[in-house]
Amino acid sequence: MILLLNLEKLFTPLLNQAYISLFFTALLILFFILKKYQYSLRSLLPFKYVEKSITEDLLKQLYHITSSQKTTDFRMLSGALKIPERKILKVVESMTQNGLIHISEGHVTLTKTGKNYALSIIRIHRLWEKYLSEKTGFDKSLWHDLAEAKEHQLSKEETEALYEELGRPRFDPHGDPIPTALGEMISETGTSIVGIPKGTVTKIIHIEDEPKSIYRQIIKEKLHIGAHVKILNADNHHIIFESEGHSIQLSTVVASNIQVVLLNSQETYEEGNVRLSSLIEGEHATILGISSECRGANRRRLLDLGFIKGTFLNLEYMGPNQNPRAYRLRNTLIALRNDQADFILIKKTQYDRTGSL
Amino acid sequence: MKNKDIQDLLDLASELRWEIGENFHDTLVEGIYTDAAQIAQKTEIKIGEPNPYSFERKLDQVLTSKKYGFPVMILILSIILWLTIQGANYPSSLLASFFLEFLYPMLKTGASQIGLPWWLDGFLIDGVYLALGWVISVMLPPMAIFFPMFTLLEDFGYLPRVAFNLDSLFKKSGAHGKQALTMSMGWGCNAAGVVATRIIDSPRERLIAIITNNFSLCNGRWPTQILIATIFIGALVPDNFSSILASLAVIGIALLGIGFTFLSSWMLSKTLLKGEVSTFALELPPFRPPNLWTTLYTSLIDRTLIVLWRAIVFAAPAGAIIWLISNIYVDDLSLANITIDWMDGFGLFFGLNGVILLAYVVAIPANEIVIPTILMLTVAHLNLMGAGNGVMFELESTTETAALLHAGGWTLLTGINLMLFSLLHNPCSTTIYTIYQETKSWKWTVFASIMPVILGFLVIFLVTQMWQLFQ
Amino acid sequence: MTELEACDSCALNNSAQLLKLGINVENADYVIALAGNPNTGKSTVFNSLTGLKQHTGNWPGKTVTRAEGGYRFKDHKMKLIDLPGTYSLLSTSQDEEITRNFILFGKPDVTIIVVDAARIERNLNLVLQILEITDRAVLCLNLMDEALRHHIDIDERTLGKELGIPVVKCSAIKKQGISELISTVHQVATRQIICKPHRIKGLSKSVKKMVEKLDKIIRKNYPGLPNSRWIAMRLLDADADIIKALKNGDFINN
Ligand SMILES: Nc1nc2c(ncn2[C@@H]2O[C@H](COP(=O)(O)OP(=O)(O)OP(=O)(O)O)[C@@H](O)[C@H]2O)c(=O)[nH]1
Ligand SMILES: [Mg+2]
Repeated sequence: MILLLNLEKLFTPLLNQAYISLFFTALLILFFILKKYQYSLRSLLPFKYVEKSITEDLLKQLYHITSSQKTTDFRMLSGALKIPERKILKVVESMTQNGLIHISEGHVTLTKTGKNYALSIIRIHRLWEKYLSEKTGFDKSLWHDLAEAKEHQLSKEETEALYEELGRPRFDPHGDPIPTALGEMISETGTSIVGIPKGTVTKIIHIEDEPKSIYRQIIKEKLHIGAHVKILNADNHHIIFESEGHSIQLSTVVASNIQVVLLNSQETYEEGNVRLSSLIEGEHATILGISSECRGANRRRLLDLGFIKGTFLNLEYMGPNQNPRAYRLRNTLIALRNDQADFILIKKTQYDRTGSL
Repeated sequence: MKNKDIQDLLDLASELRWEIGENFHDTLVEGIYTDAAQIAQKTEIKIGEPNPYSFERKLDQVLTSKKYGFPVMILILSIILWLTIQGANYPSSLLASFFLEFLYPMLKTGASQIGLPWWLDGFLIDGVYLALGWVISVMLPPMAIFFPMFTLLEDFGYLPRVAFNLDSLFKKSGAHGKQALTMSMGWGCNAAGVVATRIIDSPRERLIAIITNNFSLCNGRWPTQILIATIFIGALVPDNFSSILASLAVIGIALLGIGFTFLSSWMLSKTLLKGEVSTFALELPPFRPPNLWTTLYTSLIDRTLIVLWRAIVFAAPAGAIIWLISNIYVDDLSLANITIDWMDGFGLFFGLNGVILLAYVVAIPANEIVIPTILMLTVAHLNLMGAGNGVMFELESTTETAALLHAGGWTLLTGINLMLFSLLHNPCSTTIYTIYQETKSWKWTVFASIMPVILGFLVIFLVTQMWQLFQ
Repeated sequence: MTELEACDSCALNNSAQLLKLGINVENADYVIALAGNPNTGKSTVFNSLTGLKQHTGNWPGKTVTRAEGGYRFKDHKMKLIDLPGTYSLLSTSQDEEITRNFILFGKPDVTIIVVDAARIERNLNLVLQILEITDRAVLCLNLMDEALRHHIDIDERTLGKELGIPVVKCSAIKKQGISELISTVHQVATRQIICKPHRIKGLSKSVKKMVEKLDKIIRKNYPGLPNSRWIAMRLLDADADIIKALKNGDFINN
């Protein structure tokens, strides 16, 4: 017992109030910092752990540069990847030895092997974005970064299993084609939304997710692949169009990152459609469809619950914070959060006795 | 079917899928609903005017309104707790006097008549029997009142409205609105609450719901809260108001639990379990008049007795252990006393005491037996009845329990801290096992078990420091 | 459905022949599954048949694990499985997995589909999906008391004809219609009633053609499979569970 009592004496000053609070605060702060910068901290790791990912990032970068018919040198690469030139040179050396790239007069080009390798990385990246969009709830602003990390981790077998699980998709959620396992890629057919004459109805097929600042502006307007867009007005600096009941104005620079096609013969543009979230108490509406922005499990859940084209519904009441809200359809009350109701496109109607109420 | 044929079939399927476009699923569901609408139209007969559900609508609007939604929720909870506290008092002391005053001496005399050796008599009657008697008299009455009332609410259809009201708060803390449902289930039993998280279909949010379920006071902990609140907080005011103040204190703890649920959900979703909140789609069922007698019967038989049985199963060995450690001596001190003295320093530092800490160690299998263990250990520690008898004591009312605890050096601070610690400590063994079953991950099981204890110590430490600051 | 009419008069006898077996489910002659939308009273029906005390509650998602119980009727021992409620079999969400897998791969002899009589259109979504999978089912039109209170009645003859399976009106909580349900289930199990389940018709022409194309290949490989069309539709939808089952040969002994 004497020993134990002594121990206690020993610890008592340590258990002082100030020490404890300080310790916990420091621990918390450290944790948040590490969590926040976990990707950027990569360059602090020993070289052999990061060689693979730098190689792969370089290949990808080179692939994109080559396919846009440009040439590049080390300085530009170093800038684009945010990695010191010293490290790039080291990687480039071993890449040349492995026959992935070819250097002549300071310009770097991809070999056939290198190109295939690059495509396989792009394949993983896009498949993973598809996975994130279909099977998880991650916000789309996070997809790119998560896929950047994942693309260096998946093995060939895992990639193919993922491909099967996702139902062999051909496009990623941004509308970019996913290269096949053999390295083939469908070429894109859309045109930029800038320059489309006013009054035309088009469908978005691709939104470029880089640079990030522009991408964020686009998704802030809730624009997405598959959305129907009607051009209302356009001049040299701005373009104004209508999508899902909202009128949106973008600068030409931003809008040029959106690619569209004309509607095909089976698709029609519904005038006067609005989002379900704009329905107010006592109003009635008919569902026109679920926005193609909502996909995967979320879409299926909404369909299962009966949010189907042609369904008649009304807003019954709102929660204490106006969110979620309860809708009555087919004689059942269903509560949805507003961000989900945003996905459901409706047309407001009069109360209809023959409706399912 | 040969492998190659299967591969061909799958290839063909994905080729065709590509032809249909991405919306085959929509097409299929729309097709099914078209059929469903046709059939429904042919078979549904409206009798006279369709019922406008006007009463239900009004009620729903009140229960979920900005003005009344939250107040009604708290009011209902308060009424249930007040009725439980008020109603359990009398039957509890009745049971206690039956088991401890009437039956206990008879057993003792009987044992000595048939010449049972002192250690067997002590082990069985002073250890096992007394623990059982305590568990039954402390736990049965509150549960027999609490459960039926809760079940009536559940059958009426109120729980989904609670989930609906709380969803915006859950959304802010990065969790799923259905967590409100699993939280309410946790008020009955945390293990059941953990299983109920299966209704949350996103794995991330489900994990949050599992980890934080422990912050719902389970039925094993309600009696602890009620008893301690009655003794230490109810006693602060005149008798007429004491049960009201005690209920308010318990409600405070329950609400604090909800607060901690939000707080830890928020912290988890910002750190370890990062990711966007997915969806919340909840069907709000119609209100249904509950069937009073069936409810009373099933909640008594199903819940109360099953939970009581579990408590008994765990209490018996705990009683035995307590008797043993109180009667094994090293030098001049019993094992219990040595441990308690040793833990006292640590306990007092956090505003608890050695008895409480030892009780929580003994009670890891089940929360239900914390209070009886504390009382028995206090008696053993004070050695009220002289050496050898160990755990014999008679307590037929809370006043006497209070006297005993005060004699054991308890203060208002100890009481408050015990209530807090009873809210914030590791889940019971069944719940820990269930968490493992549901997550299949040791990592999360360990995390879910340890996190609340750390939080608990942190909170009572802060409370104690503040308390001492203002003294 | 003449068998059903004949049975109306013998309803009283049935309860005399019912023996609740609780959890004693060994050596059952038939396996009966209880499926349906959440909160339609499946567990209540289960309790009144087996005498067990499955938890019930007025909110969707009360049952999350499957429960088994038994009863004996006319010399046959039935094993009854209470399943978690589900809105559809098309999703891949985890909470509906148990039910989806049991209906597809558990191969119950009879499936009792419990529906809410006041919300029939919405419930039919799942009913029609189940009828694509199994050809032996009974529709339990539950919550009749509530439907009538809300001025809704159901023409169960027409419904039975449309769906091709027997329909029984019930109010499980008041034990109304349970005895008729028991005898109807028995008749379907013993093939005294042969069901001709409804098949989904509302698909567009081009989709129908594709489904048929796949269906034909599947039927060629597994003659006599009752749900080849369903499998074809699931393959088109890239259902990972179905693809796995196909690779493992889980459909062969159907
Ligand atoms: N009025 C009335 N209520 C019923 C009837 N059948 C069931 N209920 C009530 O409906 C509610 C749901 O019943 P459950 O048996 O739990 O439903 P379930 O289908 O098992 O629900 P899940 O397990 O969530 O899928 C309970 O409150 C029952 O008391 C009925 O025939 N009439
Ligand atoms: Mg159930």
